[in-house]
Amino acid sequence: MQRLSEIQARFRDAIVHGETSGISDALIGGCHPEKRLAIHQRNYEVSLTGALLTKFPAIQWLLGTRFLTEVARRFIRECAPRVPCIAEYGSDFPDFIGQCASQLPYVRDFARLEWFVGKAAIAVDQPAVDLNAFSQIESLLDTFVTMQTSVEYLHTRWPIDELMTTYLTDEAPDQFEMTPTDVWIEIRGARGEFQWCRLEEEEFIFRQSLWQGSSIGDAAERALDTNARFDPGRALPSVLNAGLVTALRQTNEEQSDGNR
Amino acid sequence: MKVSPKTSGIGLRLAHLSEMVATRPRCSWLEIHPENFLANPHAKELLVELSSDYPMSLHTVGISVGTASGIDEVHLRNIREMAKTIDPLFISGHLAWSSYQNEYLNDLLPMPYNEETLEIVVGHVHRVQEMLSRPYLLENPASYVAFRSSTISETEFLAEIAARTGCQLLCDVSNIVVSAHNLGYDARGYVDDLPPDKIGEIHLGGYTAEEDEATPGAEVLIDTHAAPIARPAWDLYAYALRRFGPKPTLIEWDNDMPRLSTLLGEVVRSDEIQAEICHAAAL
Repeated sequence: MQRLSEIQARFRDAIVHGETSGISDALIGGCHPEKRLAIHQRNYEVSLTGALLTKFPAIQWLLGTRFLTEVARRFIRECAPRVPCIAEYGSDFPDFIGQCASQLPYVRDFARLEWFVGKAAIAVDQPAVDLNAFSQIESLLDTFVTMQTSVEYLHTRWPIDELMTTYLTDEAPDQFEMTPTDVWIEIRGARGEFQWCRLEEEEFIFRQSLWQGSSIGDAAERALDTNARFDPGRALPSVLNAGLVTALRQTNEEQSDGNR
Repeated sequence: MKVSPKTSGIGLRLAHLSEMVATRPRCSWLEIHPENFLANPHAKELLVELSSDYPMSLHTVGISVGTASGIDEVHLRNIREMAKTIDPLFISGHLAWSSYQNEYLNDLLPMPYNEETLEIVVGHVHRVQEMLSRPYLLENPASYVAFRSSTISETEFLAEIAARTGCQLLCDVSNIVVSAHNLGYDARGYVDDLPPDKIGEIHLGGYTAEEDEATPGAEVLIDTHAAPIARPAWDLYAYALRRFGPKPTLIEWDNDMPRLSTLLGEVVRSDEIQAEICHAAAL
């Protein structure tokens, strides 16, 4: 008699890859019970491809529903969810789309932007700290910041933010030229709202470094390495005035990928 | 905060969340899938706001008590944290498996009912209850296939888990109709075989008939939660209430979502049936 672990391995292969030969003899239900595995295969495929298409409407607009559905079907066979909350499923989908539509080199980053926008829209922002919070700080350069959980930073070599604006405003021109150009984008949002803006490279480096867990001093140093004219005395208040910082810390214990 | 055992609630899905928050319609209680809210902070915030006005229940779809490779402790902890915030009436899940090693298959999958599976499920239910510090409610599945290697009936299997762990049972009446049709057994006999004192909640949901590829010319019933509750399910619900007595009842609708008012209309019908049966029992 097959052990449960073996049965589940074969059942999984039937659902994800359609390989029913390992499990069909173990089943009962109707005259040809193995054909009922199609119900579970369909549940898996329809629910997950549906979830992916729902999260990437701009990519669907760009590439077409038929193409993206086929890409999603391939993705769910190769990358089954690793999380129980399907809202989190799809973070790797932009890379996969990029591989499948390699003739459009900006597609991967466009999909990443859409993923970040989707995340930002369901986030909840926290009360931000202001400049007064620094009055109790002994060593500014050694201070770390906690940033809003919705914030993401994306450097791309294509004007994908303009393309996204075109999609969202539903004002597609007859022709949209994608000319390579470096773009540094900050994405944020909360409670159904989202926004993004372009930053100068050095400001992007500064904010992204803070977000990644660098101290203010280290983040400023990286920004200065990028552009010697970077002004930390202006950049830090700018971050605070934008409401991006929710706490100051004297240690980097909370340091992680983007404070998460 | 306790639910009257004679009242019905609805499964609250994201599609109706904003309307619920804005209109606060009359409804005895709500049940949610925590997996829909855990990774959605804005929805969770609205849910917490609603929980001050509506008793709530957490009906998990990601705690895979039937998985041979073990349950996800991180997810279990997340459910526990959510329960601390929501203070739910019940926490329930399914007699099924949905994860394989570190993959989530996003479906409720069948398993053979035998001693090995029983040991695994009992161990996992113990662990869930230990982590949540409360009895878990285990729901009978909607089945399309069963296993030749089963040596225990599903009702015996459920009763044994309840006896060994102290968990309660969530009797999904529509699942019984679906499974009984698909696997060829008597739905009322299934209800008769469940231990009445262990039934903590009843579910009702819509199902869909389609051509059965496994048996040409026959139909298979699919637990789609995408349609009104069908007559056979209402009839079996009345039968179950006569056997179990009044129970908190939950109306589920997950796909092809109707207007909220339609869902609340099903609640009215459920409450009417429950009231009729209570009245008849009192005579």
